[in-house]
Amino acid sequence: MFEPDSYEHDLLNRASLDHCVKCTICETQCPVAAVTPLFSGPKYVGPQAERFRHGASVDYSLDYCSSCGICTNVCPQGVHIAELNSVARAAMKKDHMPLRDQLISRTTFMGMAMTPVAPIANAVLKFKPARIAVEKVVGIHRDAAMPTAHTQTLVGWLRGRTAPKPGSRGKLIFFHGCAQNYFEVETGVKTIEVLEHLGFEVIVPKQGCCGLPLQSNGIFDTARVWVRKLVAQLREAPRDLPIISCSTSCGGMLKHEANEILGVKDADLLEVGGRMRDICEFLLEMYDNGELDTSDWLENELTVPYHAPCQLRGQNIGTPAVQLLELVPGITVVESGAYCCGIAGTYGLKKEKYEVAMKVGKPVFDKIVAVNEGIAACDSETCRWQIEQATSVPTVHPIAFIHQAMGLSKLPVTTGS
Amino acid sequence: MTNTVVIGAGLSGLVAAIRLARGGRTVTLLTKGLGGLQLSQGTIDVLGYAPERVDAPIDAIASLPATHPYRVLGPAAIAAGIAYAQELLGDRLVGNADRNVLLPTAVGALRPTCLVPPSMTAGVVTGGIRYVLVGFRQLKDFYPKLCAGNLERQTTPAGDPITARGIILDLPAIEDMADSSALAYARALDDPSYRAKLAAALKPLLQDGEVVGLPAILGHRDAGAHRHLEELLEHAVFEVPLPPPGVPGIRLNEALTALAKQAGVRIVAGAKVVGFESAGGKVISVGQATAGRIRQYAADAFVYAPGGFESGALTMDSYGTVTETIFGLPLHGLGPDLVTAGDPSDQALFRVGVGVDASMRVVDPAGHIPYSNLYAAGGILAGATRWTEKSGEGIALASAVAAADSILKGA
Ligand SMILES: Cc1cc2nc3c(=O)[nH]c(=O)nc-3n(C[C@H](O)[C@H](O)[C@H](O)COP(=O)(O)OP(=O)(O)OC[C@H]3O[C@@H](n4cnc5c(N)ncnc54)[C@H](O)[C@@H]3O)c2cc1C
Ligand code: SF4
Ligand code: SF4
Repeated sequence: MFEPDSYEHDLLNRASLDHCVKCTICETQCPVAAVTPLFSGPKYVGPQAERFRHGASVDYSLDYCSSCGICTNVCPQGVHIAELNSVARAAMKKDHMPLRDQLISRTTFMGMAMTPVAPIANAVLKFKPARIAVEKVVGIHRDAAMPTAHTQTLVGWLRGRTAPKPGSRGKLIFFHGCAQNYFEVETGVKTIEVLEHLGFEVIVPKQGCCGLPLQSNGIFDTARVWVRKLVAQLREAPRDLPIISCSTSCGGMLKHEANEILGVKDADLLEVGGRMRDICEFLLEMYDNGELDTSDWLENELTVPYHAPCQLRGQNIGTPAVQLLELVPGITVVESGAYCCGIAGTYGLKKEKYEVAMKVGKPVFDKIVAVNEGIAACDSETCRWQIEQATSVPTVHPIAFIHQAMGLSKLPVTTGS
Repeated sequence: MTNTVVIGAGLSGLVAAIRLARGGRTVTLLTKGLGGLQLSQGTIDVLGYAPERVDAPIDAIASLPATHPYRVLGPAAIAAGIAYAQELLGDRLVGNADRNVLLPTAVGALRPTCLVPPSMTAGVVTGGIRYVLVGFRQLKDFYPKLCAGNLERQTTPAGDPITARGIILDLPAIEDMADSSALAYARALDDPSYRAKLAAALKPLLQDGEVVGLPAILGHRDAGAHRHLEELLEHAVFEVPLPPPGVPGIRLNEALTALAKQAGVRIVAGAKVVGFESAGGKVISVGQATAGRIRQYAADAFVYAPGGFESGALTMDSYGTVTETIFGLPLHGLGPDLVTAGDPSDQALFRVGVGVDASMRVVDPAGHIPYSNLYAAGGILAGATRWTEKSGEGIALASAVAAADSILKGA
């Protein structure tokens, strides 16, 4: 239960639930309710159960909500269903937070711990008996996708290189998030190189974790501290520049989740959120404004299965990667046609959710297996790990194809690891 | 680069967007959430009551008041809207714009409609028809005995009696599920082995010559489910639409959304359009409240298809003031006594809306054009009580096609 007058308490009570007209649209689109009778669906656990909550939960199936946000996205009445669920779940777990949820929420810690011993950490994660032990003790499913650690971080790469001469297009700020720094260094490097190729000078201020994994596991207090700290760090850089992110979930945290779920209403956060752009959103907007010249982009005769992550949909920017990839001569994009790959941040790692998550992702996996020509694309890092684990199809951020089309890397496009 | 923006993803927004994109425009469709198609019956109503039951919808239009959207559109535009729906969804919508058919509803009323999916045609009421309605103990939205009893109380339009009986099966959609939604059944029936299970339970209970009415659950994605079940049962089978979530409406919504994507429409979903910029008598851009900021979408033409009161496009405050929520357009149909103590389904308020000329360009009540590149379509239009008349879908189609054609012609 939350303190009276706290944001959570307030939200639990005032909520947007009275806007619900019981049209059931959210019920029909929820990817979890579609695959398991253990979850009673967004309308029930959201606006309906909320009426009876007054802090404590009345329906424990709530824990099966993956917070993918699809329900909020499709609700024609503007009910904040997924946000209600996230806050209510945090209330439910408040006094007995599992150690596992504490651990997987601290990405910077995991990254810092794994980077110096990357080969060992990777080997341990691939070693079945170790994973069985981890499942038993901590509750992370033995088959769940785990990131690959790298011996060099993005920050290390930046330090080690000679930056190109500043271009003529002005400056931009790059927000790498934890994943790009520790686990998806390649994606971060390519994003920076694409922006520099376009003539931008890329500034990378020192930055910590946005707190999203903490938030999605219900550890709100610490998440607030972390996101506020990050906002201050990003504001160390000039404050009139767009901030570019190639991590959908962390970008989304700063754009709206810290505000809507954690209730951080600081002007500084809203200001930073307003400047945040997903890399594909940014490039497509340039194209729409006639500022992206694609005439010298190299051909790549390829069919690319693409999955738009749920966290991207939550930003309400459409699917800019689709239009962007189709600007590459020869590329045909086939969308997964499904809302969620099942991982939903850290949901699919948990041993009691793993099976549900794999069922949620099945339509995505089937589509990717059916149409891929050796590679798939998806904007979010955790989704890429999940897709690779389930399909064995190497899966990259769409920026890898743009990087190649600009002649910055060779064909074929690969994950590079 | 977008040159046309459509607001709304209901029947009118989707159809306008497809027609514009296929006509060579680059289209961005902005929408808050899914549109109303999922809440429909999966049929296309053109005109069911005016106010008496209508048999020939296009002929009946002349009897409507001059302010009705159909009078502004005219018979040719209505026929063009219906024809376009059949062009897009030909194999999913059977029928003829000149003639209504009567279909049983879930409570056993006879509902006039115009175009119907092939999975419903066997249910059209005809002389001598013998219905058997089949429900499930685990599906609480359909009571076959209530439906059958009410059907038997009526006659066909020609005065012939109707025979009907009800059967209840004990067959959950998923094993051990106490309470299954229509969509859970539809997903189960996508699997041929579940169809065989259903047929095995049902076939011994059927009598020769009976037409089998099942709730509208015959497959979510597998369009062949209905035909397969007819083969297994060796009986004609039809679907009875249920209250939402309506599977036939979900099918139509998914089919149209896929066509829109194929045509290259950029769909930006999940956020409200909250404002606009204008200059020189034109709308320059509309602003969508995306995560973190209001994003402006510029275009040379805008189709406004946001639905009516039901989707929040029109609101009335506690002082009785009615407002159109994005552009603040002057409304038609205002006056005293918008809401009275009379028939709750027939209130003057429901006919309040945005006015248009024959090209679907927005006009104010004095006949002035506020923005020369702003077109309106669907439920936002003034002059109809769509749910009572059973006219909402026909209006949506005809106005969407007319608006798209005006833009394509460069009106
Ligand atoms: C209870 C009820 C029963 C009905 N029964 C019948 C019937 O039996 N027969 C019949 O023919 N008609 C019926 N109708 C009417 C019919 O449903 C509609 O007229 C028809 O579907 C209209 O479709 P539309 O595309 O205009 O709007 P809708 O389907 O309402 O779609 C509106 C779209 O606009 C979006 N939108 C709205 N505001 C904004 C905004 N500010 N920013 C971005 N997006 C926005 C919404 O998210 C939605 O996607 C009924 C209506 C109701 C309410
Ligand atoms: S989609 Fe929105 S209005 Fe419809 S049932 Fe769900 S919460 Fe309620
Ligand atoms: S957030 Fe996702 S899983 Fe949770 S109720 Fe909504 S749609 Fe279902």
